[in-house]
Amino acid sequence: MEQFLLVTLNGLTLAAVYFLVASGLTLIFGLMRVITLAHGTSYLLGGYIGYVIVRETGNWALGALGAALAVGLLGLVIHQLLIRKFQDDDMRVALITLGVALIGTDLMLATFGGTATQVAFPAALQIGVNVPGVGQYPLIRLMILGISIVVGILLSLFINRTRFGSIVRAGVDDSQMTAATGVNVRIVFGAIFFLGSALAGFAGVVGGTLFPLLPGQDGTYLLFSLVVVIVGGMGSIPGAAIGAVLVGLVSQYTLVIAPTYALVVTFALMVVVLAIRPQGIMGRAV
Amino acid sequence: MTRLATPTRSEKSRGWLRPGLIIGLIVLALAIAFPHLVDRPKFWIPNIGIKSLWLGIVAMSLVFLNRYVGLLSLAQMTIAGMSAYGVAYATVTLGLSPWVSIVFGLMIGTLAGYLVALVAARTKAIYFLMLTLALGQVFYSWAAQAVDVTNASRGLYPVPRPDLGVMNLADLNSFYYFALAAAVLCYLLCRYVATSSFGLALQGIRDSPERMSALGYNVNRYRVGAITFASFIASIGGVIVVFDRNQVDPSVVNLNATLDILIVAVIGGIGSLLGVFAGGVVLSLLLNFSQDFTDRYMTLTGLVFIAVLLFAPAGLAGIGKQVQGVKDRVLRKKKSAPVLEPVQEPPTKPSEEELTTEGTQR
Repeated sequence: MEQFLLVTLNGLTLAAVYFLVASGLTLIFGLMRVITLAHGTSYLLGGYIGYVIVRETGNWALGALGAALAVGLLGLVIHQLLIRKFQDDDMRVALITLGVALIGTDLMLATFGGTATQVAFPAALQIGVNVPGVGQYPLIRLMILGISIVVGILLSLFINRTRFGSIVRAGVDDSQMTAATGVNVRIVFGAIFFLGSALAGFAGVVGGTLFPLLPGQDGTYLLFSLVVVIVGGMGSIPGAAIGAVLVGLVSQYTLVIAPTYALVVTFALMVVVLAIRPQGIMGRAV
Repeated sequence: MTRLATPTRSEKSRGWLRPGLIIGLIVLALAIAFPHLVDRPKFWIPNIGIKSLWLGIVAMSLVFLNRYVGLLSLAQMTIAGMSAYGVAYATVTLGLSPWVSIVFGLMIGTLAGYLVALVAARTKAIYFLMLTLALGQVFYSWAAQAVDVTNASRGLYPVPRPDLGVMNLADLNSFYYFALAAAVLCYLLCRYVATSSFGLALQGIRDSPERMSALGYNVNRYRVGAITFASFIASIGGVIVVFDRNQVDPSVVNLNATLDILIVAVIGGIGSLLGVFAGGVVLSLLLNFSQDFTDRYMTLTGLVFIAVLLFAPAGLAGIGKQVQGVKDRVLRKKKSAPVLEPVQEPPTKPSEEELTTEGTQR
């Protein structure tokens, strides 16, 4: 029982990271109907930037903020330069972002090398807290779970309660009609791309605090965020949360029961969801 | 709308057949003469010739699906890898004869493609792309871990090039011609299927699934059939891969290998069944020679890839047509599309692009 709860907590903290990455992806897809395959690259780049800032300043929050801002701006530049023109051609955007991912992966390998690094966090937080039924559990993991929940709630409020959010939702339903009502949809697209990339960069710092940052992680996180949004339903923030929790828990449980097949079972989850509900759990029928 | 903008030339098929046929025959003649034209056959034949051929065959299966079914699959290298694993498993573990091993590999690859199709045929466009990408990674992770079947990261070896009786593949030239013959056969097969009533129905489904469904066609069944057929083509590529490397290990099906196929298809022209071989040549040249002037092979490949997507969406195969289009337009408006040419440098030893890093989470 104790082990079961421990694995559950591990799964939930893993889900917290997956949710942060996937929420950016699902946000971009929800509005623009394009999928950016450079999302894992944004994650890893954010992690590295956070690592450098934290190493220089010793301030974790500054690192997270700086990484989010930098990756967000980079995403905005990429959107303006490469994606904007081809926004209606989703396949082409997917492939172009894949090219960006190839370049990004290579340049990061050249800059940061192939060894694993990890974002440092204050020693005061490197303690365990007593969780009922589990025993000692790292405080930082619980904090990250908390951060992720807060970000999720803020995102939902932002989408559902603000004027900008209502513009975004209108754009999701019909971007042409939204433009016709006088909204500059282009700026909205740019802003969402910024926000989505920034979330990936932020997730990189958060994930880089718990898990090592190393080449190949970009692909891993891209795949997991794809699985999360496919399971949860593309374009839905609550869907991303549900998908992340399912993927996090399933992968952690199978890691205990049948380690060799952890990834296979996680993807099997996706296949099952697709077979029953092709649009994902919270997705709207296409 | 969902697939890459590619010029479908079927409406004027009679016109393009003549120049197309001539160019095709010239290329074929060059390909046949290739082993005798190069200065260092021991380097050129395996690293450029055979590699281009298997890259092209696997990419052809991707192009077939994209052009005639409107689906962009990232699982084609995985299917080829499964076929390669099938051949290696039959040879190394089961100790079967070469012919039986090849048939076994083809069957494994095609069957796997059929299973992928059952899951994936229901999804469309971008979902299909993501699903096939994810399925490919599942197989990779399984191949890298299942010690009892795939021997994990060490792979299955040795798989010597066999003497098939009619042809002794141990000889490099013979193996090259074997691969070339396979490529030609694959091309003819794709062309035949595309122009058969099955292929015409596929194109109908690609253009308007609803209408074809209303006409009584079982859209899903046709898609499954097409994906299975493309898997068979990819499996043929896989057989050449395993004999080319004399072994098979998880790096055959990793993300980089998957992307290589996509790059080949895009550079060659994602709507052209023959363009893939041009793409294969470009990629294998990049692989082997880019290290002469840069350490950043992937960056270079990525730049070429993006440049092709931005400026020549129909790839190398579409450049002639594009230049023609520009010429026509220049008379009225000043507008141009840069033409991309692969860079060539004198030969050196093949480059090592492998960088195996495991994504551990704990």
